[in-house]
Amino acid sequence: MNKMSTDVTLNVTEIQRFCMHDGPGIRTTVFLKGCPLRCAWCHNPETQEYRSQILFYPSRCIGCGGCVAVCKQKVHTLREAHLLDRKNCTGCFSCTGICPTAALEPCGEKMTVEEILSVLEKDRAFYGTDGGITLSGGEPFAQKSAIDLLKACKERGLSTAVETCGHVDEEILREALPYVDLFLWDIKDTDPERHEKHTGVSNEKILKNLKTLDGLGAKIRLRCILVNGVNTDISHYQAVANLAKSLKNSVGVEFIPYHAYGGTKSTFLGNADNGNPDWIPDAAQLKEARDVLAVHGIFVG
Amino acid sequence: MEFYAQNHRKRPVRLSHATRKFAYDSLHYQYGLDTRKTLAVSMDDVPNFENLSPLERHDLSIEKIAREAPIRICDGEKVSGAATLGLAIEHKVPATFGGKEVFAGMSHLTVDFETVLKKGVNHIKDTAKAALLRYEGTEKEPFSRSCLRCLAAMETWHGRYLEALKDRPEYRKNYENLQRVPFAPASNFYEAVQSIWFTFAFLRLCGNWPGIGRLDWLLGDYLKKDLEDGTLTLEEAREILAHFFIKGCEWITGVPNGSGDAQHYQNILLAGIDEKGNEVTNQVTYLVLDLLEELGISDFPTSVRINQNTDEALLRRVAEVMRLGGGTLAIYNEDLVIQTFVKEGYEEKEARKFANDGCWEVQIPGKTYFIYHPFDSLQILQKTTLQSYEKPLEFADFEALYQAYRTDLANFLDTWANHTAQSFTRQENGTWHWNPRTPYTVVSLFEEGCVEKGLSYAEGGPIYNILSPHIGGLADTVNSLYAIKKLVYDEKRIPLPKLLEILKNDWQDEEVLRQIALNRYSYYGNDNDEVDAIAARLLSDFSDLCNGLNGRCGYRFPAGVSTFGRQLGWSVHRLACPHGRHRSEVLAANCSPTPNTDREGATAIIKSYCKADLSKLPTGAALDLKLLPSSVEGEDGLQALMGLMRGFVALGGFFLQPDVVDASLLKEAQKCPENHQTLSVRVSGWNARFVTLDKQWQDMVIEQNEH
Repeated sequence: MNKMSTDVTLNVTEIQRFCMHDGPGIRTTVFLKGCPLRCAWCHNPETQEYRSQILFYPSRCIGCGGCVAVCKQKVHTLREAHLLDRKNCTGCFSCTGICPTAALEPCGEKMTVEEILSVLEKDRAFYGTDGGITLSGGEPFAQKSAIDLLKACKERGLSTAVETCGHVDEEILREALPYVDLFLWDIKDTDPERHEKHTGVSNEKILKNLKTLDGLGAKIRLRCILVNGVNTDISHYQAVANLAKSLKNSVGVEFIPYHAYGGTKSTFLGNADNGNPDWIPDAAQLKEARDVLAVHGIFVG
Repeated sequence: MEFYAQNHRKRPVRLSHATRKFAYDSLHYQYGLDTRKTLAVSMDDVPNFENLSPLERHDLSIEKIAREAPIRICDGEKVSGAATLGLAIEHKVPATFGGKEVFAGMSHLTVDFETVLKKGVNHIKDTAKAALLRYEGTEKEPFSRSCLRCLAAMETWHGRYLEALKDRPEYRKNYENLQRVPFAPASNFYEAVQSIWFTFAFLRLCGNWPGIGRLDWLLGDYLKKDLEDGTLTLEEAREILAHFFIKGCEWITGVPNGSGDAQHYQNILLAGIDEKGNEVTNQVTYLVLDLLEELGISDFPTSVRINQNTDEALLRRVAEVMRLGGGTLAIYNEDLVIQTFVKEGYEEKEARKFANDGCWEVQIPGKTYFIYHPFDSLQILQKTTLQSYEKPLEFADFEALYQAYRTDLANFLDTWANHTAQSFTRQENGTWHWNPRTPYTVVSLFEEGCVEKGLSYAEGGPIYNILSPHIGGLADTVNSLYAIKKLVYDEKRIPLPKLLEILKNDWQDEEVLRQIALNRYSYYGNDNDEVDAIAARLLSDFSDLCNGLNGRCGYRFPAGVSTFGRQLGWSVHRLACPHGRHRSEVLAANCSPTPNTDREGATAIIKSYCKADLSKLPTGAALDLKLLPSSVEGEDGLQALMGLMRGFVALGGFFLQPDVVDASLLKEAQKCPENHQTLSVRVSGWNARFVTLDKQWQDMVIEQNEH
């Protein structure tokens, strides 16, 4: 057995099978924890922080008190409602281990590459020539071990895709490149100021990395979130089109409409619901974005 | 004139306006309501009718039906013949005496259309005449005479159509075709379609519900020749075949009943290999798929035989039609079905001919008497093995419990087989004899063996005679056993007598334990080897027990799995289950997981199911799979559907019924999430199982699906 892959671990929030829209064919998607961006519209807030957390679904709690009994830190109190004092939580996951209704779930579990591979192998019969595995998150490359996982996948003949925000050290991307069949590259916004305002980082590094990887022959599909009133303007679509056309190895563009479910998920982490229904684009906006790209002859997935 | 499609997809338009209008009217009950206007012929005027022999009463009924059934020629129809008596829609021979029907119809068989096409009904008549000569003066003489009388009745009915079409120039082709077929062999595609249709319509007119079988295999060579000769264009062929499909809707009445108004077991199979091992797929295969795509007719549930080498183009076309929804298309893994039949004792070239019984149970068409007996394995576990939880039972370990259950299952099958077999047969001087049954002469004419042997369809006439026990309750039984294994024996959370007491009280005051049972174990359908091994073992043992029944009489007892909709009726009588189910809650269908227990999605369900050796289940094991239209959108979605089918074949699945479902079903899923656990939904960039979404989010997805 490969010694490396038994020792190297990654912090995983979820491994989802039968994903049909994280790259071609049937895929298994590994969601990795931690992200350098703080997008205001984040769809997966449970993957922002690098440390493991507890997800709490109040509607599932039956008030059995098992967690109160098992928690040494006294994080849980049960009166009229089940309250969590999260700042005292050390992440021992004793409560999630005992909760009979899965009202308390671990968010972020250390898994070895071998352990992850054993899940990825489960759907091998369905991957065919097009499908395979996708790393998502969070920012997969925020955990350097992601490269070990990708390498191990390629050694086993599994096709790989990585959904990245691109805000990563160039060296890591260069190192990963031989083991990535497809990059699903997020373009949150093409306007530099808006990008920084809504994601917390400049898009300079992201675009530079994109250009570098393209120059190295990486196969890239751009994924662009559409947030009503933020980036739903023609000049943005035009800029996306120009960006796609500037790439030698682009395999199309996808527009992803914003949804507010991320806000609901935030509440399960003990944060406020920051979902914004006004941000949801309508079908006409989605169509407009696609049409602009189609005019340029760009494949829109 | 729109034909319904999931997700408001546009269906293509290829057929003429007139043909589309014909389809539209037919799908909106025009001909079904007409059929119901005349329910049956009356036998009240036949002197002494009630004292005649069953065979005599039967033949007189068929003769009168042939003489008196209304003749219907639809505007512009390209094929003629119509089953116009309403009682036939109810699976009865449409002849009454004193206001009551005289005989039931027959179904669960696909008849021998090959002989009709290639040799003509006159060939069957010759066979019947020869049989009469052989059997004159023996106990078989009455049946041989009955064969000839029913064939004569068919000629009478046929003659009435010729008469009705004769002087109508717009139906000149229909008239010319019917002058030859179905009595003479078909000489071209158009005649072949008319030949099958007319024979099918006659069988249905007499109250029977046969399946169609391998339509592309039956018709492919005729079309190929006509296209090569230039006597027919592909467009003309599509129109002709469309009329076959549209005429097949003449029993749709819109009248609600339990399983819908449009299920008369008229199934069609496409593609797969022929007797010699060559791929059958031809122009007819694609024409049928075109028609299903354009008209959305779901009255001929169509299955495609897929194998490891199935052409990419066919698989893609199947996926395209499949994602329009309605569950019209299903797939067989023919590699496994053929292997199963060979193991069961059929010759390989015979096994390759398999079709179904008009539902999804597989059989050799035109040669098989088939009946299945459904039972609930959970009932045996609860009532017999666990004695309705009335006693403080203990078993040394899980193995002892399993063995006790296996013994109870064996005893059940033994008792059933003796009882059922004896109602069909009797033993005299050491040999089995068939008991006389309802004289099903009309279907007997089109089943190899019956006419020759002078034995009716239900009296051992066909080549193969099958009584198939069908196990139901699979997932619930397996999950019950697994939950006991974990709770009682592995983790020792609770002793068995105490658990049985709790179950007897339907989990009252034991919600924590119930939640542990529900949530902390991974049940059948989640690709968990430990529980799937129990399912595999149970199915294997069941199959062995069924094999042990063979040889008791002239039947074989191959195993199968099904519940169809019976689990709905069973559920109210079942006690609480160790896996957290309350008394009377919903149960699993066919080979599907217990509702509310599958959490890993479609691929995990298929894997759990495929871990059993399904080749030990010769009459079939169906898996239902619900998919959302949004999850099969775009090229990615198409690839995913193809990937599912490929994986299903590679893993050794038997029969897969995928269904792409729409917003109205989502609303239902919202109300009853326990029944819709497998729905996966596209949520911008990722998929989630619908029922795991919050209400507000579900509402949004529903809205998306309504646009």
